Amino acid sequence: MTNAVDIENVSLVFGGEGNNPVLAVDTINIAIPKGQFVAIVGPSGCGKTTVLNMLSGLIPPTAGSVKRNGKEVDGPSRDVGYMLARSALSPWRTALKNIEMGLQIHGVDKATRRARAHELISLLHLDGFENSYPSQLSQGMRQRVAIARTLAIEPDLWLMDEPFGALDAQTRIKVQGEFINLWERSGESSVIFVTHDLEEAVLLADRVIVMTARPGRIKSDTLIDLPRPRVIDELRFDEKFKDAEHRIWKELRDEII
Amino acid sequence: MKSSDTTSPDGSNNETSNLEEPNAQQERFDMSVITDVPRWQRILKALDLPVQFLRIGLLVLIIWAWETRWIFKGWSPFGFELFPEIIPLFQGIPSEAGEFLLDIWDDSLFWSDFWVTLQEALLGFVLGSGLGFIVGLLLGSFRKVAKVLAPFLIFTNAVPKIALAPILILWYGVDIASKVALATIIVFFIVQIPVQAAVSGVDPDLDVVATSMGATQAQKFRFVVIPGILGPLFGALRLSAIYSILAVVLGEFIVSKRGLGQRLLSETNNFGMSNAIALITILAGLALAFNAIIGMMERRFLKWQDTEARGKVVSL
Repeated sequence: MTNAVDIENVSLVFGGEGNNPVLAVDTINIAIPKGQFVAIVGPSGCGKTTVLNMLSGLIPPTAGSVKRNGKEVDGPSRDVGYMLARSALSPWRTALKNIEMGLQIHGVDKATRRARAHELISLLHLDGFENSYPSQLSQGMRQRVAIARTLAIEPDLWLMDEPFGALDAQTRIKVQGEFINLWERSGESSVIFVTHDLEEAVLLADRVIVMTARPGRIKSDTLIDLPRPRVIDELRFDEKFKDAEHRIWKELRDEII
Repeated sequence: MKSSDTTSPDGSNNETSNLEEPNAQQERFDMSVITDVPRWQRILKALDLPVQFLRIGLLVLIIWAWETRWIFKGWSPFGFELFPEIIPLFQGIPSEAGEFLLDIWDDSLFWSDFWVTLQEALLGFVLGSGLGFIVGLLLGSFRKVAKVLAPFLIFTNAVPKIALAPILILWYGVDIASKVALATIIVFFIVQIPVQAAVSGVDPDLDVVATSMGATQAQKFRFVVIPGILGPLFGALRLSAIYSILAVVLGEFIVSKRGLGQRLLSETNNFGMSNAIALITILAGLALAFNAIIGMMERRFLKWQDTEARGKVVSL
């Protein structure tokens, strides 16, 4: 079976010839089987977002190969959902229309995309806010609309760039729970979840990859052996969870301190 | 320790439930204070009568000072002729202007002049803002092209456009085409410059999102760029509406056979001052009507900004 993602000897340099080139990512290798939830943690500026940008086809690697389902990535694909750190909702679109945006770009007819958007509205507990503009929504709701917009196109690879970074602690727990439920019921979708929050990474993921400070290399790659489905608001007090987090923290600490 | 363990949970539970529940009931804010205000009271408040009375009073005062020719007396503080005294031949008053307005109401010649000016202004507005929009959009989106054209556009914009009027009349003739050309050139820059600037002001994250979804360039224009620049665009269009009328009246002043500007000039040349004032009022009315139509479109297209301004934020 082909992997969802194969990153082979990939390096990326920003700013070429004379422009003070910066080595952002240095010869990394990551293979992700279908259906796996991978979290990437690392200090700020370690190239986490760059990895997502390469996978989404926004920027090509300087060296090495980035493959999705065994095929070289050569541009954006309809099978990839990319959620940015900032919710980046269109302020002139209502919540419902924001969710529909990807489907509209893909040329899906109005009735189908409306139905799909309504389904996500209720899955993410946004009922009653279908016709609200982003400025009328709280931060937590905006982030949920952005999740819904990313998942509306039914991607088989979810690229999440610190999706909950801007949320307060309580809202974050709530949205994390909703997100993990969506993924657990989605079946075969693979997730790459970039975060600077180790607790979040261990709570959600099957596997946590720690990257080093610039230039980004892979420091450690750990499988998280916690049962699913996970009830994350309880799991955070579990001893096995705490052990796993502590083990990885020792790796990460060297990069931060 | 033991005694407090057994008594305190029960005791405190009872206490809190006894204390908090009735309190919460009593102190709840009575929403009917706000929701039950009668409709007529709300309308009255929205009308803001004191402001309306002051406005009407001020208008009456201005017309009175004008009608009694008080404003033509002149005022020269410290021997400096700030407002010169106006000789009776050059004076026009509201009542005579009003008579003129009633007279021309069923004068078909006036309406054909009105139509000529309206046509010139509308064509100039549509052509100028249309071209300005398209060029601004393209230059804002394609930086290389913008870089090549920048010096040419800056120089052309620096030309005092009115100075082109005599040349345009030679090129396009004395009829409406030359006035349309002048209005087009003036309106073009009013729209092109802010539109181009607004394109680079659109949130780059929205572009990244659309790109990652596989949007084509045309789709990005439609879903990201154009909705993102509507605010500045409408600001420019409001200004353009007024300037298109200004441009065609000016063009008609120079050479023309028909039009309100031409009529205004000939009235002034014949010392029909009240008539000239009436014509100026009509031109201002035209500009206001233009502005109102654009304002209606703006409210329709920028509904989301309206709600943003109201800041109706709901929490989780």
